[in-house]
Amino acid sequence: MEKVLFAVLTLVYLELSMRVVSAPICSYGQAGCHVPSLADLFERVIQQSSRMHSVSSDLHSEFEQYFFPRKNLIRKRKCHTYDILTPEDKENAQKLGREQLTEVIVRLLQAWGEPLSELYQSMSQDQNQDFNLYSSNKALEISGILHELKDGVTIITEKMKLLGVLSNTVGYNSPESLVPSSAFYTQADLDSMDHHDLLYCFRRDSNKAKNYLRILKCTTLPEPDC
Amino acid sequence: MMKSVMEVLLLLMLFFTAHAKEKSYSPPEKTTQTRCRSPEKETFTCWWEPGSDGGLPTTYALYYRKENSETVYECPDYHTAGENSCFFNKNDTSIWVNYNISVVATNALGRAFSDPVDIDVVYIVEPNPPEKLTVVVMEDKGWPFLLVSWEPPHKADTRSGWITLIYELRVRLEEEEDDWEMHHAGQQKMFNIFSLRSGGEYLVEVRCKPDHGFWSEWSSTSYVKVPDFFSALIFLILTWLLHMNSHSLKHCILPPVPGPKIKGFDNKLLKNGNSDEIFSALVVPNFPPASASKYEEMLVEYLEVYVPEEPELMLEESKDLLDGCLKSLNSRSDSDSGRGSCNSHTLLMDKCGETKEEERQTNRESSLMETQGWKEEAINHDTSGKVKTWPSVYSPLPQYGSNPLDKQSSLETAKQHSLSTSSFLIQPGTKDALGPSYTDFCLSNKENHLHPQTLAHRALQTRSDVNISNIGCKRSPATEYVEVQRVNKEDMVLLQPVVSRCGHIEGCPNLPKGEDYSKLKGVDCDNRLLLQREGTGEDVCPCVEQETNREGGNCYTSSTVSTTQKPTACMYTAMPLQEETAVTLNGYVDTATMGNLPSC
Repeated sequence: MEKVLFAVLTLVYLELSMRVVSAPICSYGQAGCHVPSLADLFERVIQQSSRMHSVSSDLHSEFEQYFFPRKNLIRKRKCHTYDILTPEDKENAQKLGREQLTEVIVRLLQAWGEPLSELYQSMSQDQNQDFNLYSSNKALEISGILHELKDGVTIITEKMKLLGVLSNTVGYNSPESLVPSSAFYTQADLDSMDHHDLLYCFRRDSNKAKNYLRILKCTTLPEPDC
Repeated sequence: MMKSVMEVLLLLMLFFTAHAKEKSYSPPEKTTQTRCRSPEKETFTCWWEPGSDGGLPTTYALYYRKENSETVYECPDYHTAGENSCFFNKNDTSIWVNYNISVVATNALGRAFSDPVDIDVVYIVEPNPPEKLTVVVMEDKGWPFLLVSWEPPHKADTRSGWITLIYELRVRLEEEEDDWEMHHAGQQKMFNIFSLRSGGEYLVEVRCKPDHGFWSEWSSTSYVKVPDFFSALIFLILTWLLHMNSHSLKHCILPPVPGPKIKGFDNKLLKNGNSDEIFSALVVPNFPPASASKYEEMLVEYLEVYVPEEPELMLEESKDLLDGCLKSLNSRSDSDSGRGSCNSHTLLMDKCGETKEEERQTNRESSLMETQGWKEEAINHDTSGKVKTWPSVYSPLPQYGSNPLDKQSSLETAKQHSLSTSSFLIQPGTKDALGPSYTDFCLSNKENHLHPQTLAHRALQTRSDVNISNIGCKRSPATEYVEVQRVNKEDMVLLQPVVSRCGHIEGCPNLPKGEDYSKLKGVDCDNRLLLQREGTGEDVCPCVEQETNREGGNCYTSSTVSTTQKPTACMYTAMPLQEETAVTLNGYVDTATMGNLPSC
């Protein structure tokens, strides 16, 4: 009996003594926080962008299978972000430089905040389609990740400016009003086609964002194994 | 004329009809299976599968349109990627741009358009297999594992972050085909594989994929053989067992040679060098055992008198003598308090007595016959002529055992450094129940003191438990006193018991008045017995000294001399007997007063 009691006490003591203590992460270096490094921030942001792209890609392919079983349906579509000039190959992307690349990323992310929430609302409202029921959660998830990603990129930009890696010319002065995506928002209802186009466009843009972030990380923090 | 025209027409008709039956020409079928792939997200290639060509030579052309542009471009390169392919180089490749591609087949009779294909280069990436796959067998706490490492395909630019690859490996044993074990390695370029079969031969392959794309082909196979560590493990276990038991195995195969050991005796005492301790350690209180059965064995049955060739008697014991001689004698009855006799190492030279036993036997016998008062029944001559000796009990000296040969040889050595003292081996026997107490007299010679001429004085060194103090009236049966009667021509000392002491000496216990006896006062540092001459009051230490002038010859000494004894403090001045006075003294050495031999 005493042995059991002793064992129990020992376990309790061990459990209490080996408790994992975690400190909140803060980017501004407030007291009591564990300030993450730039590498940690990049790692986090890249993970988020990868997840965002993955979910949106799944959603798009499911959408296509559900609504357009025939393959190779050619559509002329125009994404609302088409006027955001993005580098379309490796050399161009590397030529841009860190500041411009960062700006492109930020613009891309900012351009999709509204449309995604619209998409979610549209999907959740239209209960007739079974697909919308199923996919609206994913749309919500995408929207959430995008929001976090935007915050993350902002933090990274600030940190890079702090470290002197990024010049202060990078600004957030590109208002969303400049983005011609406002044309979409006027529509009261987004039909399925619009959903499809949105998903297609977003899939691509999230891929761009992910790729640009990786390039940014590897040029800012060069490693042999980037 | 007409005939030739008719023939030509007929031939032509035949020709055409024949051909018309065998083949039919048609426009080409459209191509199918348009497939495009990019190995590194910087270039890409499209292939198509041609349909039927309609029997006519057909050409194929690939046209493409980029997204949101109406311009139609034709394939820039039909040859780099082989037959029925179109290669787009870096300049012609745009990422995140939708390509609308179609292939047109053209022959003499028509053309056919393939179904258009929309591609975005970012989604058609299929990298080359990983390169430089190496597999090494490593050990983790004795268990082997495979350390697999590789490099990304050289075309894929992972360093700049343009492309991100994830890897996958597969492993199998050589003998188990199609039984692959898959391992997902993520983005890392090395991997450990555990749980291997020892002695097995493994095949390892790796492939890669961009985070959204197609898996590459499997890399070239790497072969590796895991060493047969199981048998090595068994070998190691056996070696370890052997090592652990090496001690007992050694005992089995090569049994240790026992060394000499005295039961109950601590060898460390010898190192201390304190003789008192050694001596006291040697004393075994219960020895000899008081069993009656052994009594007879231990009974000394006969008397031996050994007279060495060198006539001069040296009473002085020297340490050289000790080396050669071994004596262990014991008496069961110690009626005297002269413990010194018992405690001394070798009181008499047993060797000296026994080497010449064969020679002396006759002498002994004759001498024995001449003596009176011997209790002859107690004297039994051993038929073999060997001396029965007590087992060695006190032996700081090496035991020579009872082998007479050994004794002989040891005596030879003893003779080499022996004293010139002649000593007697005398063994009075008694049949008393008190047991024999005998004295062994060992005559030994010392070469440097050799005086062949002098004959007269013989020093007797006896070890005796005889209570010499009981001289005279107190006729203790355990005690015998002998006196030298004479020395015969054969250098034999003839002894006679002192029977009528009382008559000779007045005041029996009080010997001091007699001239014939002197008390032993002690032994000095030179191993000389110091005798006290009573009566006259003169204190001399006569007779027992080595350099005795023997001419007086009347020195009776029966003393307990231990060859190894440390001489006591000489209470009296030791004077060499070369002086005149010493010679005349007749006295006995009173062993009773010896007591324990104090160390010098």
